[in-house]
Amino acid sequence: MRLFQARSRISRHALPWVVACALSFASSLPASPLLDSDRPEYPPDTTELDSQARDCLRCHAMETLAYRDPETGEILDLAVDPRLLSHSVHGEMACTECHRRSYRRYPHPEQAGRETFSCVGCHEDDPEDATYQFLSIEEEYARSVHVAPGASEAEDFSCHSCHDPHVFRVSRVGKEIGQVVRDDNRVCMSCHRELTDPLDTTHAWLPKRDAHWASVRCLECHTPPSDRAERVSHQILPAEDSARDCVGCHSSDARLLNRLYHYRSQEDLARKGLIAKALFNEAYVVGMSRNPTLDALSLLVIGLTLLGLTAHGVGRYLTYRRRTNRQ
Amino acid sequence: MRSLYLYAGWVRLWHWLNALLFLILILSGASMHYAGTPWLLDFETAVTLHNTTGILLTLSWIGFVAGNLLTDNGRHYRIRFRGLLDRLFEQSRYYAFGIFQDAPHPFHVSAEMKLNTLQQLSYLGVMYLLMPLLLLSGWSFLFSVYLPETLFGVGTVWIVAMTHLTTSYLLVLFLLVHLYIITTGETVLTNLRAMVTGWHRERGEPQ
Repeated sequence: MRLFQARSRISRHALPWVVACALSFASSLPASPLLDSDRPEYPPDTTELDSQARDCLRCHAMETLAYRDPETGEILDLAVDPRLLSHSVHGEMACTECHRRSYRRYPHPEQAGRETFSCVGCHEDDPEDATYQFLSIEEEYARSVHVAPGASEAEDFSCHSCHDPHVFRVSRVGKEIGQVVRDDNRVCMSCHRELTDPLDTTHAWLPKRDAHWASVRCLECHTPPSDRAERVSHQILPAEDSARDCVGCHSSDARLLNRLYHYRSQEDLARKGLIAKALFNEAYVVGMSRNPTLDALSLLVIGLTLLGLTAHGVGRYLTYRRRTNRQ
Repeated sequence: MRSLYLYAGWVRLWHWLNALLFLILILSGASMHYAGTPWLLDFETAVTLHNTTGILLTLSWIGFVAGNLLTDNGRHYRIRFRGLLDRLFEQSRYYAFGIFQDAPHPFHVSAEMKLNTLQQLSYLGVMYLLMPLLLLSGWSFLFSVYLPETLFGVGTVWIVAMTHLTTSYLLVLFLLVHLYIITTGETVLTNLRAMVTGWHRERGEPQ
């Protein structure tokens, strides 16, 4: 549970700001498939927000709301984007369901300042826990490259580093797969900005790199194989342990296949219906039916059969000619 | 000259439709499986073409089964177990040796039985074993969401893919052998002509 407890260094709330920075930074570079903006329309629809949240947002919706931490001297962003909050998975909750109740008063009492949050604390009794298995997420997370012993920034890392609770949305079936990829990759890219550098060579080995980045989540290669169809592991792998084997994904018994094919099939059906699914089946991925052994063996048998048939035919012709010559 | 009307109109129509669908399916299937190989179809075209043709092949197969149930064409597929092994052996020996020595055909087509035992068994295997497996695995590809996620601890999609792949390779093999074997009639074109006109003609006394 310890690892899941994120101190309320309000800097966690800085993630949207960092994302915005990353996006504006990226706009000056050649477009990278890893970055794509998907901000909801303005004006924001806040009708789904809790009434208390609307009260808090009277101040916290201000994009420039921040304060300087008297202890560290760090500027801490206190802004919450109401558009992103209203679309997020926590959008219907009252702020004090997570934050201290004393925040309801303004000015906020000073002792309210430091808080601890525990994702598992709320989510372990969650009826959706059966689906997401927060306790196993916790175990996987403990082995992740971001927090494993020796990780340089483990101290500052928490669930909220990737899952901003004011922004986070769960990808549901029916969401366009490209959008799922863009949304998930944007989380990684909010820190790993070096990858947008056109001179970056970390992924130079990957054939059709941009095509991969546009249609595959970073997580698919940077997590260990998982049997779960509903989510990837939370154990993020270091570069040297990540998948580099093409056949690992581009073959039938591949780790990516079941999950991807299942999702795409469900999505196809949900969006287009049975007949269009039967005709266009967009779930089929190049290489998913390949099996090098079976392919080689079959082509060999077919080749030998052709050879045998040709020899048989030639034999028939030669014996036929010999017979007719004799007559 | 002996003439026998062996192939009814619907059988010939089904046969040539089936042949056309087979060719399209092999080409489009190879284009999906080996996507990126230069002389094949473009991937998106291949997927739509393969699925559409696959649906037509299913209908055509149902038509074939129904035709065999409703007309007397089905009798050609009823195995006569008496002397089965001997007939199989005779037929194989003919293809292996006799055919080179102008030996007489061990089997003579008749209105009651137009298929020799080897032919009959391979057609039965193809139409009532491989084809259902092929069609079922093809449809399972499309609607895998309705199947369990794993089967015996292995991903269902993988089992489906391997079944489809194996049966399709076997059917390509069948097609090659079939194309060759039809040239082994009295003349090279005797059997082909029979499937076009419906009439099987060979030397001998008219019946």
